[in-house]
This record gives sequence, structure tokens and C-alpha cells, in this order.
Amino acid sequence: MKCRVRLPLADFAVDVDVETSARAVGVFGASGAGKTSLLECVAGWRRPASGRVEVNGRVLFDDAARVDVPRADRGVGYVPQDGLLFPHWTVERNLRAAARGRGVPEDALATAIEVLELAPLLARDVATCSGGERQRVALGRALASKPDVLLLDEPLGALDRPLRRRVLPYLVRATRAFDLPLLFVSHDATEVQAVCDHVVVLERGRVVAEGDPASVLGAAERAGTDFENLLSGTVRVGEDGCALELGGGVRVEVPARDAIDGAPGLYGLRADDVLLAREAPRGLSARNVLEAVVEALDADGQDVLATARLVGAGDPAEDVAGPNTDASQRAPRLRASLTAASVRELGIAAGARVFLVFKTQSCHRLG
Amino acid sequence: MDAAVWSAFAISAQVAVGATLACAVPATLVGYWLARTRSAWRGVVDTCCALPLVLPPTAVGFLLLALLGVDGPLGRAGFDVLLTRGGAVVASAVMAFPLVVRGAKNAFESVEPRLERMGESLGMSRALVARSITLPLARRGLLAALVLGFGRALGEFGATLLVAGNLPGETQTMALLIWEDIQLGRDDRALTLVGLTAVLAFAVLFFADRLTRRHAEEAR
Repeated sequence: MKCRVRLPLADFAVDVDVETSARAVGVFGASGAGKTSLLECVAGWRRPASGRVEVNGRVLFDDAARVDVPRADRGVGYVPQDGLLFPHWTVERNLRAAARGRGVPEDALATAIEVLELAPLLARDVATCSGGERQRVALGRALASKPDVLLLDEPLGALDRPLRRRVLPYLVRATRAFDLPLLFVSHDATEVQAVCDHVVVLERGRVVAEGDPASVLGAAERAGTDFENLLSGTVRVGEDGCALELGGGVRVEVPARDAIDGAPGLYGLRADDVLLAREAPRGLSARNVLEAVVEALDADGQDVLATARLVGAGDPAEDVAGPNTDASQRAPRLRASLTAASVRELGIAAGARVFLVFKTQSCHRLG
Repeated sequence: MDAAVWSAFAISAQVAVGATLACAVPATLVGYWLARTRSAWRGVVDTCCALPLVLPPTAVGFLLLALLGVDGPLGRAGFDVLLTRGGAVVASAVMAFPLVVRGAKNAFESVEPRLERMGESLGMSRALVARSITLPLARRGLLAALVLGFGRALGEFGATLLVAGNLPGETQTMALLIWEDIQLGRDDRALTLVGLTAVLAFAVLFFADRLTRRHAEEAR
């Protein structure tokens, strides 16, 4: 995706130049930072004053070459914050809207209905759908149009936090099932980390940071979001419980409810729910005791957020996966919230070997 | 009620229906253009469309005579409707046009333009978006506009008299018959006609108001 856009707005100008090979790109920033305007430029809803937009190797806009592909031919699946469903149609007719325009095959529609669990809603008028159902329908409509790129503009932004938590798994599952290039606008760090593998941070129309979501979205942005830790891996269901394989030989026990063996899984874990011990604890009811190496301690008043790199089975931490090796870069990390007094009394510092402890039930399934 | 009253009633209804149908499509198109355009000409076109609302009907009738007369551009082109029921339809359509344009413009303005853009993003052509999204969402407001236009055409007098004359059984509408009855001192029949037109006007306004309210509720 290559996006160079200049678009004057009332108070400032969106002036963005982003080039990335990432499939899922997040656009993160506060309200009024120009995120929606940028997305609308890609969708063709706004015409930039100048620039060039290229998605999937296809030029959608280029003022120098006088290219401005009409909206109907851009092949974008757009989900705005308010869903923008056609109010005079049923859910099914909304989902089939693209079939009237592009004549997309039925399989895309069937997959969208299955992944987003829309079958019970099909006959309903959209006016009778709840906020979460509307967003699922809007996402389904975009996916059913078999787009070349998916544009999600704070698709969960209009929902309250508990509802967002319920709809986020659908979003994650759908984006994985369709495996489309994705531009995802949000001011929620948890959502961006759950969905994207590259993030661009906008402030008054300008890019102020860019890169891997986990490293770019700092503690300040993470504060106030639902989960500081997102565990992504493969679900393994056995007779003695359910585990999530994170890679690097690390397994985390997670709740077995609704888990499917071999399926990809995404779980959220709050930093407040993670305990930190200097020695391997014994006789605990908590099922997850993971060896780790502390990488960073971010102080915020009396609170400290510790970031620790997990050590896999048979992985002698410092020697094999030192801080700068490829293996250490790929190793999963967890964040634990501590008090400054705990850090002081336990003598925790960067490089210290610790054990992270948390209950199975502290892992909340997101997708 | 005598035959002249029934005849005038039938002619009024025919003329009003004809005038409403005649201005429905052009007024809807102009209303849509006014609701969506960012052209610098928007204000000028809007004002020109509203002129028949404020000009004296006799002035509009005079302009129509100039256009449709034997020396006028349309008259020379063979559009010969002076002193015919077709002329009454033309005069009434011109007088009803501003009301229908205004109503159509309001109806289209109440349709969220982003819904149209969404339709296009889903691959629909502009014609398909207009047919399947814009028109259905604006339908009640458009119908209310047409009902108001029908009511305006039903009561049209000045321009109709100049263009179509007052020919009993041919162009004599209820408004013209009331005028004639007052001139000739037939006050009882004039009163009957006034009562009839008042009932019709009430029904039209009541219906248009209900449509407009329902349209506003739907747009919310």
C-alpha cells in the first residue's frame, strides 16, 4: 500500500506519505486527527488536492497522471463508524447490495454470513438491529462485495465498551477468514493491536510514528484500553484443558469454552492480572507460570508496567535467545502491572529472570 | 349542483392531474440537482425556479402568451395550445413547478448523501443508486411535493385565464367558474363552489402534511 495524500481541511491539512508492504495497516490517532479523511481519500469519497494512492499495485488516484478511479470501480469494502446500512432494506438485501452493483459470486456472501453469524438476522429490517448487529451487517456487506481492499473506519467506535468487546472477535475472525489488505482506523490501541501488523499514528493530519503496533502504541495510548496483552496463536484442545500455542515453545492455558482445536485464537489479558515472582512458585491454583526475562520497566507515578520476554520450553533464556537475536525478536512478550514498591523490594530490573503468573480465567477470548 | 359545476370540477381535476404529471419529472430532476450540486449557479437556478411563486399570476400568464402565441418561439414551432385544455395544463404546471421543486429539493436533502456514496462504493452505477437508494428514501417527501403541486394547480386562476381563456366545458375550471359567477351575481353557486374547493384544499394540505411528517420521521 502506497499512500501519499495532501488534503486541506478547515483547521489543518492532512499530509501523509505512507508506504508499507503490511497486509493490515492501522491508522491510529485521536478524534479529529484526519484519520477518516485519509480513509475517504482511499475510498474516493474525497478528492485529495494532490498525491497518489496505490493499493495492491493498482493506482486509484494520481493527480500528476490525472488518474481518479470512480468510486464504483475502486473495489473497496468500506465500513464507516455508523455502519451506513441502507435503512429501507432488510439485512439480507443490504448484504446483497454489492451483487446488484458488481455481480459478486454467492460464495463471498455465504462466507460473510457464516463467519459473522448473520443467518438469524437476514430477514430483519436494519432498523430493528442493535448497534453491534448493525456493525456486523456493515462488515458483512463490505466483505460480501469481494473487495480488493477493506477500509474500516472505527467500525466499533459507535459501540460502548462491553459491546465492542463482543463484536471485536467477529472483526478479527472476519479479517482473517477473508485475508484482505486492510486499512483500519481506530483510536483504540487494543483494536489496532488485535487486527493490524503495521500502524501509522496521525496527529493533526501528519504521521508522528509508524511501525509495529506493539512497539509504536506506547504505554500512554495503552492506558484505558481493555487489554495490555494480546495473545495470538493456535488453539489446542486436550483432555486436560485448552491451551494456546504462542510460538517459540510457549503455551498458555486458556478457557476451554467455545474453543476449537487447531483454530487460530486471540485472547486478551490485563496487565493487572499478571503476577511477577523472582522464583518458580509452587502450590498455586493458577495454571499459567511462565518463565520470562524482563526487558523494560516503564514507570508511571507509583505504578510500573513491566515488559517481559517469554522463554519457551527448553529455551535457556539469555544464552539462546539473547535480547538482540532473531529468536528473541519473535518471542512473545507480556506486560505486568506492578507497584514501584514491589519492583524495589523484589529487586526487579531489566534483564532479570522472573516468572509470570496468571489464571486461565484471566485470559479473555477475543477471536 | 348543476352540470356547469360538475363540468368545472372534472376539468379542474383533469388539468391539475395533467399539470402535476407534466412537472413531476423536470421538477424532481431540478430538485435533485439543487439538493446535491455545489455549482455557483445553484442560487440563480433556485431563484428562477421560485419566480412563479412571487410573480403575479397574470405576469406569468403574459410571459406564457409571449412564448406560446403565434409570434412566440413555441407557437412558431407548432406548439399550439392557446385557448385549449392543454393550455390550462401548461399554465397550471408552470405555477405548480416551484412548489414541486422546493418539495423535491427538501426531500432529497433529507437523504444522507453518504448512503449514495456507499452504494457507489459497492459497485452500483449512479443511475442504480438513484433508482434503488435515493428515490425510495425520498419517496414520501416527493409525493408530498407532488400533492402540493396538485393543490396549487387545482386552484390556479390568473395564468390559466390568460393562456386558456374561460370556455365552458373546455377550459372553465372551478376557479374560473367562481370568478364568472361573482361577476354575474350568481352568489349561491359561487358559495357552493367555494365550499367545494375549500374541502378539496383541506384534503390536499392534510394529506401533504401527513406525508411530510412521515418522511421526516423516516429520515431521522
